[in-house]
Amino acid sequence: MARVKGRHWLAIWLVALLAALWAVIARQTASLNAARALTDLRAERAGLEGKRDELERRIRTASSRAVLLPRAQKLGLRLPADTEIILVPTAPASPPPR
Amino acid sequence: MAKPAVRLGVVQFGLLGVLAVLVLRAAQVQLLEGRRHAAEAQAQRTEHVVLDARRGTLFDRHGTALALTQETYHVGIAPNELRDPRADAGLIARRLRLAPRDLDKALRRRYAWFAGPYTALDVEPLRAVRGVHLEPVLRRFYPSTEFARAVIGRVGDDGLGASGLERLLDSLLAGSPGSAVVLKDRAGREYESPARVIAQPIPGNDVVLTIDAELQEIAQRALDDALDRMDAEGGDVVMLDPVTGEALAIASRHKGGGARPSAFTETFEPGSLAKIFAAAALVSLNRVRPGEHVSGEGGKYQLPDRLVTDEHPLPSLTLADAIRVSSNIALVKFATRLEPDEQYTMLRAFGFGAPTGIEFPAESPGKLRLPKDWTRPSQASLAIGYELAVTPMQLAAAYAAIANDGVLLQPTLIREVRDPAGAVRYRHRPEPVRRAVTAEVAAKLRDLLRGVVEAGGTGERAALANFQLAAKTGTARRVVGGRYAPGQYTASFAALFPADDPQLVVVMKIDNPQKGSYFAAQTAAPVTRSMLEQALAARTVALDRARLSNVAPTAERAPFDEIKEINEPDGVVPYVVTIPTPAPLPDSERVQPARAVPDVTGRPLREAALLLHRRGFRVVVKGWGVVHHSWPAAGDKAAAGSTVTLFAEPRH
Repeated sequence: MARVKGRHWLAIWLVALLAALWAVIARQTASLNAARALTDLRAERAGLEGKRDELERRIRTASSRAVLLPRAQKLGLRLPADTEIILVPTAPASPPPR
Repeated sequence: MAKPAVRLGVVQFGLLGVLAVLVLRAAQVQLLEGRRHAAEAQAQRTEHVVLDARRGTLFDRHGTALALTQETYHVGIAPNELRDPRADAGLIARRLRLAPRDLDKALRRRYAWFAGPYTALDVEPLRAVRGVHLEPVLRRFYPSTEFARAVIGRVGDDGLGASGLERLLDSLLAGSPGSAVVLKDRAGREYESPARVIAQPIPGNDVVLTIDAELQEIAQRALDDALDRMDAEGGDVVMLDPVTGEALAIASRHKGGGARPSAFTETFEPGSLAKIFAAAALVSLNRVRPGEHVSGEGGKYQLPDRLVTDEHPLPSLTLADAIRVSSNIALVKFATRLEPDEQYTMLRAFGFGAPTGIEFPAESPGKLRLPKDWTRPSQASLAIGYELAVTPMQLAAAYAAIANDGVLLQPTLIREVRDPAGAVRYRHRPEPVRRAVTAEVAAKLRDLLRGVVEAGGTGERAALANFQLAAKTGTARRVVGGRYAPGQYTASFAALFPADDPQLVVVMKIDNPQKGSYFAAQTAAPVTRSMLEQALAARTVALDRARLSNVAPTAERAPFDEIKEINEPDGVVPYVVTIPTPAPLPDSERVQPARAVPDVTGRPLREAALLLHRRGFRVVVKGWGVVHHSWPAAGDKAAAGSTVTLFAEPRH
């Protein structure tokens, strides 16, 4: 079996070193990419939550009595008097089976 | 000159010396001071950052968010990093709502900083702009800024609850902040690398309040309108569920727009609203015989220390009359049959002179002096609601006790506490404080209050046509700066809705109404009626409509004085079921010709009611299931607007 010469050892060590460096850089790059993706997702989620909150706020405002009642009055509508509200009686709840 | 060997020796010695110094210094730096330098180096390269915990959300009882936490941003701009300064500046100015001139001025600095905070929507287009640095920060957000503001309170600049429930519930809502380590460059800028999290932040608990958003809006709006219309100084509305003690709506407003939680913290003399508690003592201790009259004294009754007057005097009055027309003279006369201790004990039993225990910071206990501190007119004054300071919340809790068969409950604002995973950690159960009066006495008190809303009662203008109320008006002189202010009054009204099996207790107070009447009968009573009508018409309000439909419209009791007599043999309170007489109709309806009542026999109630309503009739329902017959009967003629009663039977 041929003996490995000194320069070959040097080459092997160099390759090993490069491989180790490549592994470190690859890991760091992957983690940076993951961090970037995570940051983007966080930002996207925050954006969507902000959008949801804003839409909820607008829905709440638009469906509030302060907005609806004046508009309804303009359309000739009004709140019903209690004489105009009919509550239909329901069957009394039956006792649970034993 | 020395020999070369000597010179060489000197040089060698010098070099050795320098080397020795270097070695020693290295040993000093690395061995002796190594840890300190390592720590300094780490501090320069890394930074511990606090990871803020998301504050819990406050919901109303139906799950509507009232206060929540949002991620917002501070914006930093490095002008030298902008790729297209002119175009970027335009976009930044638009998104941050800045005047272009102000932005130009800011961009002349090395680093421009805008605290905002700006929402995620504001900064969304800026994320891609090079040179714009966003710093996330959690911010409390209130979807409706004025909604129950005094109750919910606010968070301070330090992120901690500063007032109201935000303050009281701070330990529940705040959560625990986490921490992380980030890497920095020489200039102190963070590297874009993942932070090493040391401790994850733990979000706060969510709290579901007892507030009903729709009722709250009805109360706030009604109060705002009333105060504007009457040019009043302020007012409060409290709505409670008497069966659970849950506060459904609490509105307070004051001139100048202040959001003081006065329903909990500010006291007033309740005047006639407190008469029912003197009546409670009289009824409980059997100090009034059924139908017993006292003289009305022509409206003026001179006591040794004060003159008691009635606005609308009657020749003689029973206790029921005294409550119905709110007679000061009759109540003062009846109250002389009570010992001071008895009167005091009853007021204490209803919770006056002590905080209600509701979860609100700085709740006032009100003021009720011990009998030993009373003066000669105190007994008369207390019978008609003076020398007694109460909060609207105390009054609501006391009236709720009358509605709840005599059991005083601790009112509450908190329905549920949920951990971040959604698991319920606390759920409110009604908490009885004490039994103030027996169930029988409470029923009699409700009968007394029912009379107030009937024809001739002071609360007549609060009456609903189809649902009975039990209520009381109160108009009391107002104390300003420790003295009664001339011409200033507090108008208040307390109502149990409906009178049978009450589901809602409403207390309304209006401070110093200046336009129109100052009497509660003309101010607070009609506003309460309007609130109840709106609550009935609302879809999501926390009313049990099944219970309402089964008790309300036509179950009338005989007046209090008669009940006593009828009731004595067996203690059973009779129900007198009457067919309601049609309410007075507007003139336009009077002239409308009579029309035939359609045949709705066999139809489901909902369908029958809709059909009759479309034909212009009012509808009252008895029983449940399908329509068996109607009165007037099918085919009979009846005037438009008159009432058709449907008698229903269960479907077979």
